[in-house]
Amino acid sequence: MSADRERNHDMTQTDIALLLADAADEVEIGIAPVEAVLRGGRRRRTRRWAVTAVTAMVIAGSTGSLAAAGLLHGGGDGGGRGAVVATHGTTPEQRHVYEPQVTSLAKGMYKNKPWSLVVQFWGAPKDKAEATRQLDAMTRYGVEPAEVHKAADLIGKTSFFVIRSYNGERGTQIMFNTAKELEPFAGTDMEAIATRYSPESESGRLVVGMVAKTAREVTCTWKNGTSTVTQWIPAGYDIYPQLAGVLRPAAGSTTANWFVCRAPEGTSYASAEVTK
Amino acid sequence: MGDRREARDAEFQSFFIGRWPRLMRTAFLLTGEQHAAEDLVQSTFEQVYVAWRKVAAADDPEAYVRRVMINAHARRHRRRLREFLAPKDDSGLVREVADTGDRIAQADDRGVLLKALAGLPPRQREAVVLRYWEDLTETQAAEAMGCSVGAVKSNAAKGIAKLRAIPGLAETATQGGRK
Repeated sequence: MSADRERNHDMTQTDIALLLADAADEVEIGIAPVEAVLRGGRRRRTRRWAVTAVTAMVIAGSTGSLAAAGLLHGGGDGGGRGAVVATHGTTPEQRHVYEPQVTSLAKGMYKNKPWSLVVQFWGAPKDKAEATRQLDAMTRYGVEPAEVHKAADLIGKTSFFVIRSYNGERGTQIMFNTAKELEPFAGTDMEAIATRYSPESESGRLVVGMVAKTAREVTCTWKNGTSTVTQWIPAGYDIYPQLAGVLRPAAGSTTANWFVCRAPEGTSYASAEVTK
Repeated sequence: MGDRREARDAEFQSFFIGRWPRLMRTAFLLTGEQHAAEDLVQSTFEQVYVAWRKVAAADDPEAYVRRVMINAHARRHRRRLREFLAPKDDSGLVREVADTGDRIAQADDRGVLLKALAGLPPRQREAVVLRYWEDLTETQAAEAMGCSVGAVKSNAAKGIAKLRAIPGLAETATQGGRK
C-alpha cells in the first residue's frame, strides 16, 4: 500500500469516527429510567431464582416433586377449553383459583416407561381468604410458587407450573412463575428451557417453552444439525405420543402459546426459533 | 442485610445514571432508532442489576456492560425482533454536498450514515461502532463481541469498506467530515 493510500485510508476512518459521533448526537438522551430498570432487574432476578430452583431440583432428583401426580394427569387434554371462563368468571371456582386448568403439552415413552408434560394455570386470588385456600390447594398438588413466602403474596397474581412426570412417579415442576401480569410474548419472542425425560436421562432431550399467541410453528435445532418442526394443535384437540414437536394454546395462558420439541436419540438441544 | 441491599442499589443507580448518556448513543448507532436504543440500554442494565455484585467487583465494569449490550443486540437480531433501522427517508438520491454547519444538510448526512449502518450485517455494524465510536482497541472490541481479534478486524474492515462505498458518505468524508 502506498503512503498516499495509507493516508487516505486513515483519514477516511477518522472521518467515519467523526460522522458516527455526529450521528450519535441525534439521539435524545433524556433522564435515565432508574425506577423502570430497578423494577425490571428485580423481575429478572425473580425469574432467575425460579430457573435456578428448577436446576437444583433436576440435579437433586426428587426434591420439589409433586405429591398428587394423579391429579396432574386428569383432564389434561382439554386444550384451551375453559380459558374464557377462567378470565371472565366471577367466583373463585370459575376463575380456577382452587383447581388449576391443566393442558397436556406432550407425552410419550422413554425406556419403555411413560412420561408426560403438562402445564397448570391457576387464577389470581382476589383476597387473603382466596389466597390462603389457593396456597393450601397448591400444597396438595405439590407445587411451589415462585417468591411466595405467605398466602397473601399470591393475591392478584396468576401462577403457572410446567410439570414433568415419568413412569407414574411424582412430577417435578420444571418451569414456573407467579406474577400480577405474565410477560406478553410478541412476534418471534421466546422463552424456553431444555430438560430431560426423567431424572436419570440425558439432559437437553426435551425442550419446552413459550412463544407469542400468533406463532404457528417453532423449529428446534439439535446439536447433531438435525431439526424438529412443531405441529400446531388447536385448542380442544388431543395430542398423541408420536409427535416430536407440538405447539398449542394452553387453557388459562392468555399471553403465550406453548411448544415442546423432543430430540432424537443421541443428541440434544442447540437452539429454537419461531419460524411461522 | 436490608442496609447492604440499599447500599448496593444506590451504587448501581449511580453507575447507571453515569453511563446512561454514553450507552444511549452507542445503542442508537447499533439500532438506529430512539425507542429501540432506550429499550436496548434499559434491558442491558436490568441484566447488569441482576449481576451487580459481580459487576461492581470486576476490574472493568464498563467492559462487562458493553459485553451484555452487544450480546443483547445480537440476540435481538437472532430473534428477528423488529428494529427500526434506517430513517424514514429512503429516497436513495445522492445529495449535494453542503457547507459544514448547514443544519439541514447535517441532518441529511446523519440520515445517510444511519441508513448505511443499517445496511451492514449486525456483526459488522457492532465492530464499526465499537472501534470507531467507542474507540475501543481490537482486543477490547473482541472481548465485547465475544469473538477473536481477527474476526473484529475482518468485520470492521468489511463494514468500513461498505460505508466508504456509499456515495453520500464518501462525499462527506472527502470534505473532511463533520466538525
